[in-house]
Amino acid sequence: MLLVTRKNLFSERSRLAISVGGVALAVLLITFLLSLYRGWNDKVGRFAEGVKADIWIATAGTTDFFAAGSIIPLDRAEPLSTLPGVERWSPLMVRPMTATRGSTEFDVHLVGYDPESNMGGPLLVKEGKAEPGPGEIIVDEALSHRYGVDIGDTIAAGGRDWKVVGKSSGGDFVFSQTVFVTLDQAQEALQMENLATFVLLQLKDPSQREQLALEIESAQPAISATTSDDFAAATRERIMGDLVPILAVILVLAFIVGLAVAALTIYTATVEKAREYGILKAVGFGNGYLYRVVFEQSLITGLLGFIIGAGLTVVAGPMTQDLVPQFVILIRWQDVLGVAGFTLLMVLLAAYVPTRRLAAIDPVEVFKA
Amino acid sequence: MQSVAKVYGSGDAAVTALDSVDFEAQAGEVVVVMGPSGAGKTTFLVIAGALLRPTSGTVEIAGIDVTRLREKDLPAVRRDKVGFMFQSFNLLEALTALENVRVVIADGATSGRAAMNRARELLNMLGLSHRLKSLPKQLSGGEKQRVAIARALANNPDLILADEPTANLDSRRGLEVMRLLRQIAIEMDKAVVVVSHDHRMREVAHRVVWLEDGRFRSDVVTARDPVCGHVVEVESAPALDFEGHSYYFCAEQCLKLFSANPRRYAGPAR
Repeated sequence: MLLVTRKNLFSERSRLAISVGGVALAVLLITFLLSLYRGWNDKVGRFAEGVKADIWIATAGTTDFFAAGSIIPLDRAEPLSTLPGVERWSPLMVRPMTATRGSTEFDVHLVGYDPESNMGGPLLVKEGKAEPGPGEIIVDEALSHRYGVDIGDTIAAGGRDWKVVGKSSGGDFVFSQTVFVTLDQAQEALQMENLATFVLLQLKDPSQREQLALEIESAQPAISATTSDDFAAATRERIMGDLVPILAVILVLAFIVGLAVAALTIYTATVEKAREYGILKAVGFGNGYLYRVVFEQSLITGLLGFIIGAGLTVVAGPMTQDLVPQFVILIRWQDVLGVAGFTLLMVLLAAYVPTRRLAAIDPVEVFKA
Repeated sequence: MQSVAKVYGSGDAAVTALDSVDFEAQAGEVVVVMGPSGAGKTTFLVIAGALLRPTSGTVEIAGIDVTRLREKDLPAVRRDKVGFMFQSFNLLEALTALENVRVVIADGATSGRAAMNRARELLNMLGLSHRLKSLPKQLSGGEKQRVAIARALANNPDLILADEPTANLDSRRGLEVMRLLRQIAIEMDKAVVVVSHDHRMREVAHRVVWLEDGRFRSDVVTARDPVCGHVVEVESAPALDFEGHSYYFCAEQCLKLFSANPRRYAGPAR
């Protein structure tokens, strides 16, 4: 770092604090938003990814977990189990609804699954019973944490009461969580006997899932057969599809704010030091040296701002999540690296306009008192 | 400088700041350039220092014809061959005295123990060993000018150009600076060119030249304004006789001040 850079930068601490603060806030916001996007993206697709199924069968038009408007008669689904390549199959009932505990209401996805196959059931039971019995329910741990529902409590869902006997993980969709009952209990509560929302197929050779899905859809146009990868992707897209443009706009605004603060402080610092830069020109420093001074100042401002902003995200992220459970963040080093790149771009742009100002400084002006 | 001219503007609005002047300064001498305001002294100085290109003529500094160089090559010439001293000292406010000198040495990079040592040596030579870590705002006017001298000497240039080096100094410090410049010229074998209104600079000059209306004049008779101390040309200056002596002034205001209290400026009766 040039001597002049270091001295100019650190001799005016309030200005440095403002410019670093502006960059730090922009970095904080960008990193938070990216981490939020990653966190949500991970959450909303995790259950669909975790279910041990190669193909999801539903009525035509249903291709994700959330738009669970599919109704499949089980007698029509049974022949699927005899298809070549199918190792086993299992029906799954899924219904979005509002559950209550006392006066507290919360959105859930009621999942009725077959405990024998365990396909579509809790991905991982963290506490309590591994399987719900009659009148019993397993809730996602995120729901338990957010609404204070614990083992032994009673919640109402689907028109009846259920006793909470276990907590699972992997079923948090941020805006809704999974609750698990047996398939027959779900069918009975919802008065949907012999019906299912999805039929899950597990294949002998999973690499054949795309081929088999096509064959099923060709044979039965009223059926939607979606591979597990596509089903998880569609589930993510259902939630994230509308959020991504909003997040993108906020990200751009954050970048602009950081750029504006950095550019304004560096520009005013350059204008205030115009006479000194004129002196340096007069005593024999070329424009290249002065440009380097300004760029170094900008880079250091950016570096300090990035360290503070990214550091605050790492520290404040988990704390925010504790306070606001919907604030699910996932910090990836690749994203942090990306934000570093954005910050670099920000400070380089911030330094550009002042350099034009430097080029215009006439060293002869320093001869005026 | 040979046949150097500088014209600002063009056509009817053209202003000739320098009119085909010839000038030479040798190593080891102090040349003082005097003249009224608007004479072209600053233009002369900035052209001599390769900060401004003349409209015509050639300028050589230590054998280098700077008028033939490209614009981007001039900063290196200024840095290596010319040392500037400014009327307002023009030190960098965020840098200490030591750093102000050190920054101009070599390419101004922060590394370089040798550069720091040279800066320290120069400041010690100028009696500022106790002020190395002081910021400009903590220095007196005389100390600032000595730091400026050290900075001007930092790269061992052949030419020192000083613009009104005593203008912002009291008489004692002004005398110190003048004598330092003479000492530098003689002992360090530099050519020192000083632009000044200060009559006292004559005492340390090897030569005094008078610049007026863009031309050097050799037939000028000068006197010192007793009120402000400026050197004025007798032929065109407002004048007043008092007790048998003629006094010359730079402007009517100084004449009026003198008239109001001549004893104050002319001294006790002789």
